[in-house]
Formats: sequence, structure tokens, C-alpha cells
Amino acid sequence: MAAIKAGRVLSLCRQFQKGLSISTVLPLQQTKVLTSCKAQLSAFRPKFCLLHINNMGTSLAQQCRALHTSQWRRGLEAFFDETPNWGEPTVKSGAPWTAKQLRTKSSEDLHKLWYVLLKEKNMLLTVEQEAKRQRVQMPSPERLRKIERSMKRLDTIVQERENALRLLQTGQERARPGTWRKDFFGRTFWYRFKEYPIPWYLNRRYKRKRFFTLKYVDSFIRRRIESHLHSKILKKKADLENKRKLQEKFSKLSATT
Amino acid sequence: MCLSVPLSRYPLYQLGNPQLRIFRTNFFMTLVKPGKEQPPDTVQFRIPMEMTKCDVKNYLEKIYSVPVGAVRTRIQYCTNKKRNHLSQRVKRPDYKVAYVQLAQQQTFQFPEIFPQKDTAHEPGSVEEMQDQFMQDEQQRQKADPRRGGVTEWFGL
Repeated sequence: MAAIKAGRVLSLCRQFQKGLSISTVLPLQQTKVLTSCKAQLSAFRPKFCLLHINNMGTSLAQQCRALHTSQWRRGLEAFFDETPNWGEPTVKSGAPWTAKQLRTKSSEDLHKLWYVLLKEKNMLLTVEQEAKRQRVQMPSPERLRKIERSMKRLDTIVQERENALRLLQTGQERARPGTWRKDFFGRTFWYRFKEYPIPWYLNRRYKRKRFFTLKYVDSFIRRRIESHLHSKILKKKADLENKRKLQEKFSKLSATT
Repeated sequence: MCLSVPLSRYPLYQLGNPQLRIFRTNFFMTLVKPGKEQPPDTVQFRIPMEMTKCDVKNYLEKIYSVPVGAVRTRIQYCTNKKRNHLSQRVKRPDYKVAYVQLAQQQTFQFPEIFPQKDTAHEPGSVEEMQDQFMQDEQQRQKADPRRGGVTEWFGL
């Protein structure tokens, strides 16, 4: 399944027809898009798909002319937006991917979508930097935020799947091994293991970190526990006091309607 | 595999380990217009600090299918001298710049992404009336052409 961005007809067809030259690609594009728009992966959800087909049909001639420059490299073109969108104050884009939708996709699709989003983000960063250089407003900066959110959600879902697999296969809850340890001040924390090429007893910097508590720290630990318990009691009292005040204020209002 | 760099460090490598493969890279590259004049086959990028020359080469070749000849990188140090309204020093983040030379005698010229577009407003719209009003005002403010460029300060 090739990956495209919604509303960007050219990019869809670039992916489809990798080996062909640009002039032969364009007549085929329209038919391809009309038939297979909905089923494709895109950087933004395909809300504006149909709208954009109509728009793109009118300006194909312009695109033809713009693409036939000899200095262009087809690979580096992906770092820029489509030629009709240059100089426009706003560029239309669909909504970001939600976690619910991403969960329905297979891992292969997610992998491909990641790269679609990556290329789109690179393009947006390029446009942003150039806008800063020219001291001009970047068209539709919300696209960047949409892409970031989509990528984060994709990452979450991949992590979920990996967690599930790991739990089923090995029973390990965490990807990175770790353990509970006490630091020098008696506080218990989760220590995450780090990779070293030498064993711990030869590691001088590691030995300077002390994961044990000495006897003279006991009184401080006791004081810390006392203050923690005290704050818990205070919080409980404050809650009760708040509840009592509200009761006093609103007791006159009758609950029965 | 969930690993996506840039992390603070890559997993440890020892002789005989399998080749490290990163699925779903977290590296983003920005194409920038060169400040100084560059040879026609050189493309300039801003890349994350953790990226190396090999990374750049593989990235462009695999993801963008761009034939890469040579890559040179440098780190741009940005100022820590500026101060905010609280007199605290504000650091502008450093970045790494990569100069990529394309193979197969290809050239690249950074295009003009923001061309000047003359947009004519539709007749009868508010913007069109505003434009017309501004033009009329400017015409009124201009000095009398019969004076031949002499300012109003000189009497008569």
C-alpha cells in the first residue's frame, strides 16, 4: 500500500510511479486518485480528499510547467510544498490522526505512516525556516502541531503493542530492566539499569554512587515519615472542614424537587 | 522495535553484535538556504546534534532516494549573551549544519518559496474600496505638480 498525503495529488502519484518520468505521470494521476483516494494512508485524515481533486484538476497545466526545470532533483522536491501552494496565505489540511483510528491500522501501515508524517514534518520545518529568513508569515503553522500530535499518538500505540507482546511472550512488564533501591538519604526509588562494557565492581564512578543508607540517617528518615503523616492528617482535616462549610452554606437548599 | 533516537546515547556495541537498526527515526532535517554562496551541487541542512555524517547519508538515500556523494558537518554555536526582561541570560539553541554534495553531477538551487503574488480584489468588496480610498488619499497628499518640486516652506 503506497502512502500519500490527503489533498496532495502529486505526492500520491510520485510514490506510485517511482520509475516513470514526470511528464508521463500526470495524465495517470487523476484516474488513480479518483479510484483509490479513500483507501490510502495520508499525513492528514482524508477529509478534504474530494475537494482537492477538483482543485488540482484545474491547475495541472501549471504544475506541468513548474516541474520541467532541469535543476530539480525529484528526491529533494519532497522538502518543499506543492508549487501551487507557494505564496498562498493559507494551505488547507485535514485533521490529525486520532489514537482510535491508528489502533485499527496494521503495524506495516503504521511504519509507512510514520515516514509519511516524517517527510511532511521535514517539509513544514523547511517552509518555517525559510519564512523566518524572508520575514514572512508561514502559511498554516497549525499543520506542524497536527503532525506532532499524530506522531506522538502513533508512538503511543506502537509502545502499547510492544508492551502487550512482551508481556505475553516473556512476562516482563518493562522494556528496560530496573530495580527498587534506597539512595543515601533513605529514599526508595526505581533505579533503571544502564549498559556498561565492564562489571560494576570495576566501575569507579558507579561505586561512588552509594545505594545504601547509613545508621546516622535514621533520625532524618523518621522525621520525614512524621512530616508526611502530618501533612496527610492536615489534608484530611482540610477536606472535612471544606465539606462542613459547603453543607452549612447549601443546607438551606432543599434537595427534593 | 520501539527504539527511536535521538536518545542521550545509542545502545552499547561490542564486537560481534548484530548491526543496530533503528525503526521509525526521530530525526528531522530542515533544508535551508545557504547564507554564503555554495557550489551548485551542495545542499545545506540543519540536523539534530545527535546525527552523524553516515546517518545523514543513509537518511537521504533511503527515505528520499537522493544520491549522496559527500557529507560535511559542523556545529553552530548560538549566543548565550542575550538577556530577557529579568536580566537572565537566554540561550539560543545550538544546531548542527550538514553540507551534502550530490552524486551523479546533479545540481540543486534553493527555490523561491514565497513569490510575490499580485492579488486583485473583486470589484465591490470592502478590500477593494479600502485600496481605492488609500490611493485617493495618497493622491490628495501629493504636492502641487505646478510648483516644480519646491516645498511649501517657501512662501507663495
